[in-house]
Amino acid sequence: MDSLIAELTLLRKRVATWILLGFWLVLTILFAYVLPYYAYKGDIRFRERGGAALLAIMLPHNLVASLLSGFPFFGGTIILILGVLTMGSEYTWGTLTSAFTQRASRLKVFFSKMLALAIAIVPFVLLVFLLGFIASLLIALAENQPIDLPSAWQVLQALAIAWFIMAVWGSFGVLIAVLSRGTSLAIGLGLIYGLVLEGIISAFTNEITLLDYMSKAFLRTNGYSLVASLATTVTGGGGGPGGLQSSQIVSGTQAVLVLALEIVVFIIVAAALVRRRDVAGSS
Amino acid sequence: MANGNDIVIETRALTKRYRAGILAVDGLSMNVKRGEVYGFVGPNGAGKTTTLRMLLGLVHPTSGQCRVLGEKPGTPEALGRIGTIVETPAFYPYLSGRDNLKVLARLASTPYSRIDAALDEVDLLGRAGDKFKSYSLGMKQRLGMAAALLKDPDLLILDEPTNGLDPAGMAEMRGLIRELGRGERTVFLSSHLMGELEQICDRIGVIKNGRIIAEGPLEELRHGSRLKVRAAPLERARELLDEMEVVGKIEQDTDTLLVEADPASTAAINRKLVEAGVEVSELFVAKLSLENVFLSLTEEDEPRG
Ligand SMILES: Nc1ncnc2c1ncn2[C@@H]1O[C@H](COP(=O)(O)OP(=O)(O)OP(=O)(O)O)[C@@H](O)[C@H]1O
Ligand SMILES: [Mg+2]
Repeated sequence: MDSLIAELTLLRKRVATWILLGFWLVLTILFAYVLPYYAYKGDIRFRERGGAALLAIMLPHNLVASLLSGFPFFGGTIILILGVLTMGSEYTWGTLTSAFTQRASRLKVFFSKMLALAIAIVPFVLLVFLLGFIASLLIALAENQPIDLPSAWQVLQALAIAWFIMAVWGSFGVLIAVLSRGTSLAIGLGLIYGLVLEGIISAFTNEITLLDYMSKAFLRTNGYSLVASLATTVTGGGGGPGGLQSSQIVSGTQAVLVLALEIVVFIIVAAALVRRRDVAGSS
Repeated sequence: MANGNDIVIETRALTKRYRAGILAVDGLSMNVKRGEVYGFVGPNGAGKTTTLRMLLGLVHPTSGQCRVLGEKPGTPEALGRIGTIVETPAFYPYLSGRDNLKVLARLASTPYSRIDAALDEVDLLGRAGDKFKSYSLGMKQRLGMAAALLKDPDLLILDEPTNGLDPAGMAEMRGLIRELGRGERTVFLSSHLMGELEQICDRIGVIKNGRIIAEGPLEELRHGSRLKVRAAPLERARELLDEMEVVGKIEQDTDTLLVEADPASTAAINRKLVEAGVEVSELFVAKLSLENVFLSLTEEDEPRG
């Protein structure tokens, strides 16, 4: 308990945590509601062509689909960075030496850190849904649309899935931070993997079967599939930056299993390295 | 291996070879007794920090054994009774000094109530609310010392604790360490300044290339005295002394020779020089300064790693 409080303090007092949270909230609401609504209001021809569908996506009953599609990619990347910072900074600052010479064992420190990270993800999930709900409510009121809420069960599932997807990315960030013993390289590699590699390989899955298999293990592929299994919007597509491919590639069950396997592997490998390796010098 | 609990640090043939192939610590064996202030001195790269890290369980030995406070290094039982500074003090830069100590106190399961006392002990109370990254090197070092004191430890393991302090700060830190070393508490501290340890330590171990090359109470180490010879012509005197069996290493100052030899052979040396027609104007047993002892022990032609 003591060490969990210590790790939560480290996250809470760190400006970077709040910057990531703010960045995530602002951009998600911007791309899911503000910009679409602006486009809807501003362009009459646009409104005539597909306006009704566009408006429907922004209404409360589509809350889950609109927001959830932001998690597998954009949200994941944000939490990847948080995961890297949480663990990698300990190497960069040399504070691992201080943390490991108090009393708590290495594994206790590590798992407290993971637990603190898991808790820190909660506001990322809850706040974006809260703000999204407010935005959709305002739009519905402004446009005189009916206010149909998604079922509580669907919202609960959505929150769980959102948290889970972020947790997988966060663990991935922790793992690459441990592997590289720092932050810079880990963030660089993590972003290249998330932004570039998965995207490029996914683009060639039709031509090369091996890549097709590979892409089925990707965080993004599984994340999107999981999201799509819960909710599809009236029109397809969806809000959130990076919400490019909402298509369901594997079944929801398969996606959950693959992601669960991956998060376990990430954590076990990271824990084993943290426990066994020498702590000699900063970075 | 340990006899009773009077031995606080015990190493046997402790060896560390880093991945890169560097042999940092090479078959190191030593004992530090309870209540002792033990100085661990050696040039840069001698293996001091590596040894300390092994005592704390941060680095795993390649071979050999060590026990600290009767425990395996790095276990909660051992760590809970050790206060330590390793290399430069490492703290979370975005937290204040006090918040840093709070985090560490949590990890150490130590009550917050000791924090202000520890900060006061190192004269940092006034700046405790400022962010660590705004501290000067000396203030960082002080915070490191405050962190080491949080647990009211039975054993202090301090790696160059005066690093970065101004002369007044150094004197203060030495006083503090001496104070802390009173009574039952054991202090193990490293330095590359022999003179610094002189005023603090009961016993000193000199490490070089990962081995202990001399160990003992200060007075004992100092007894490796030298003969100071002032003579003319100096070159001729040196040649003559070189021929003598009793004479070890000879060092030359501008107009004197520092000769490694048993003080009992002073008369024989004098006779030999005078008989050969060398004028001896001065010949006496000089007690070496600690710095000299250290230099003569550690200096060799190989480069320091
Ligand atoms: N993490 C590491 N990986 C590889 N070699 C290392 C590592 N840390 C230290 N060494 C090497 O081990 C040797 C001993 O280093 P160590 O830091 O223990 O010396 P030291 O006595 O503390 O020196 P100083 O007085 O400069 O602090 C050196 O040759 C150093 O280069
Ligand atoms: Mg050192």
